[in-house]
Parts: sequence; structure tokens; C-alpha cells
Amino acid sequence: MLAVKLRGGRPRPLDGGFTSERESNHVGLLRLLSRIWDTITSFTRPPNAATLFRRADLFRQEGRFEEAAELVAQGLRVAPNNGVGHLLSAYLHLAFRQIGPAKSEFEAVLALDPYHPRALLGLAKIALEERDLAACRPFLDKALQYYPDFPEARALQDMVSSWTTAPAAPGQHPVYAGPPIQVEKLKPPAGGREFVLTQADGTLVFSQQGDKDAEDLAAHVTQVYRIASATLQRAGLGALRRGIIQAATETTFFRSNDRLILALSFPQDVKVGFGLLETDKLWTNSLRELGVRA
Amino acid sequence: MNAEPAAPRPASARAREFRRIVTEMLKIDRVRGGLVVAADGLVITSSLPRSIAVEPLAALTATLGRELEVGADRLKRTPFHTALFSADDGTVFLGSSPVGFVVVLGDREVNVGLVQWALRKALATLEGAWGSQSQIPATPEDI
Repeated sequence: MLAVKLRGGRPRPLDGGFTSERESNHVGLLRLLSRIWDTITSFTRPPNAATLFRRADLFRQEGRFEEAAELVAQGLRVAPNNGVGHLLSAYLHLAFRQIGPAKSEFEAVLALDPYHPRALLGLAKIALEERDLAACRPFLDKALQYYPDFPEARALQDMVSSWTTAPAAPGQHPVYAGPPIQVEKLKPPAGGREFVLTQADGTLVFSQQGDKDAEDLAAHVTQVYRIASATLQRAGLGALRRGIIQAATETTFFRSNDRLILALSFPQDVKVGFGLLETDKLWTNSLRELGVRA
Repeated sequence: MNAEPAAPRPASARAREFRRIVTEMLKIDRVRGGLVVAADGLVITSSLPRSIAVEPLAALTATLGRELEVGADRLKRTPFHTALFSADDGTVFLGSSPVGFVVVLGDREVNVGLVQWALRKALATLEGAWGSQSQIPATPEDI
């Protein structure tokens, strides 16, 4: 402790200002008692918002979303304008697949900090889910404008920037302009359903279903192809060639090259080997029919 | 009574389970890596080769998983359980769970059926920890 001599007396601490040893001891005792009291009451006192959010984030990182959500709600009651709290709330809504509330929470973060990169990324992801590429791109651009080393935003931007055409929006579907197709030559096998053939830009080439359903299916198939391709390339594995998606009631097989995507579904109990074989046959027929080399 | 909620332990049962799942996947021949990622892209646990950056891959796999979920919902299909996407040099496997997505990377020689079976087992374990348990084929050959 720094000290100076005053009028030849005993040294006086610069930061304490005590006039006697007894007074100094008294204050020291009070401080000690105060610390003990703080420690005791910390067990019964409600935690502050920062503590709640920190704990919520730890729970979240362990996948304990329900407990995290409780703490975030508690924290936001204490500090309703806390950006960290709203961001955590947005993440947890996403984890629970509650997209509307997640969007509102990301927007609440941006109202507090218009350049918050993680809120911008969150909204970009939601726009991507909604197939609103026009809304997605500016969020990613803005996030990367101020934080160019933001790996997640960069990965998504790299992906969407390679999409020459936006995924089909309702009522605005690109029209296939290739050679005419003889439908009877593209008959799916027994048990096969929801057969769809699209170009990589989302143009519907052929579908087994009615127009509306076919366009929705083609948009989904194209979007899965694009994201799966980006994922495989990011993992250093190359371009997408095959896919299998297994759900409770059906199994869907994908086959693709750089220009065309074929999707064909079967009932859930189909043997994978059979599905692959039949999808390959239909793929070969489709390429032949379109005059494309395999 | 203690008014403060209990702080999470460093290694909760769920966190251990996630790590165990990835570790088990890595024991399969030709599996190069694995991760568990939440639907928001948060990496819960991962083990990847050094050449692959975890955050970008997590962002893309979470986006892919969400498209499979949202697309199925739009098309009025049932939600997906597992998916795989193959390229010339390997395969990405994806499993859906309440916590998010379990992702496995295999090289071109990976035994697809074995990984799918192991992935289903892992997902059933996760579902068990969160709620109902799904049916798993007895062997990979039954898939």
C-alpha cells in the first residue's frame, strides 16, 4: 500500500484516509462482515440478468434447451432490453423450431445493435428456409461487411452466391426449354411415386404429379441438392451424386450430375438396394431421353 | 432455499451422451469425422479432420437439416429421420433429433449400411433422452 508521512506522525495510507489504527481496524472488520453477508445472501438473492444469460448459454451448449429457455425468460424479465438475452432467446426458439418467435427476437437484437453479426446471420438463415433469397443475401452481406472473418456467414454467402437463379418463388417458375420428353419412357417402377426431374437451376423438367405439387417438389429437391452439394464440397468430398432421405412413411432417392437432379420416393419399407437400382434405371432412361451423356 | 437455478455441471449426462455418440461413430472404419449441431447451427460437439473447419460445416449441415425438415412439412410429408448424400470422395450422413442434427462424414469406402444403422441407434438414444424411443433394425442388413 502506498503511504506518505504526515507531519512527522505515522504513515497515512493514500487510498484509505483513516486517522487511527482503531478506525482502520473497524472499517476492515466492517468490510469483512460485508463480504460474509454478501456470500450468505448470494444463495438467496435472485441472480442478475448477466448471470442468468451466462448460465443459460452453458445449458444451451450442452443441448439442455428447456433449462436454458427458462433462464433466458427469467433474465429478460429482469433486463427486457438486453441484446444477449434476445439473441439467446432467438437461438432457443430456433432450436425448438419456432421460426416466427426466433425472427422477432433476432429483430429485437438488431433494434438494439443494427450490425449485430449473429442476429444478421440468424435472419439470413430464416430467409433461406423461407426460400427468400432476395432477403437472405443483404443480411449476409451486412454481417460480412463489418465482420469479414465470420466463417458461418461466409460459408452461407459462398453457397448462395453460386446459385445462378433463385429457388422458384410461388407463381414464378422457370420453364423447361429442352427437347420434348416421351412420358411413357419415364415410367417410375412399381411402388415408386413423386418422381421428379429438375435442372440444377430449379427448372422442372418432368414430374409424375400435378403442376402445383410438382413445382413445390421441384423447388424442394433443387434446394436440397444445392445445400447438400455445398456441404459435400465444404467437407472436401466432391460434387453430389446420390442421396437417400428416410422418413417415417417414405424413402426418397436422389441421383444427380452437375445439371440434372432426379428424385423418386418409395414407401418407407423399401429395401435400399432395390430403391438404388430402380433410381439408377430411371436416371439412365432420363438421361437417354434428354440426350445427355451419363 | 436456494433461489438461484443450479449451474450446469461441466459434463452433464446429455453432453456426455453427445460426445459418446460422436466417439462411437468415429470407431467405424472409414468414418472421418462427426458432429452434433443444433438447428440454429450451434456446434454441441465435434471431431473433424484438421483440414475441415467446423463452423462453416456446421452452418451448412444445420441449413441442410432444416431444409429437409421444412421441405417435408411444406410437402405434407412425414419428418425425415436420416439422410445421406454421396459424392465421388465420400458421404455425409445426417440424422434428425430433438436437439438438432447428428452429422457423420465417411470417405468413399465407408460402409454406408453400417453407418446408417449406427446413426439410427444413436438417434434412438437421443430420442430416449428427450422422449419416445424409435424402432431400430436389429442389424445393418435389415435396413
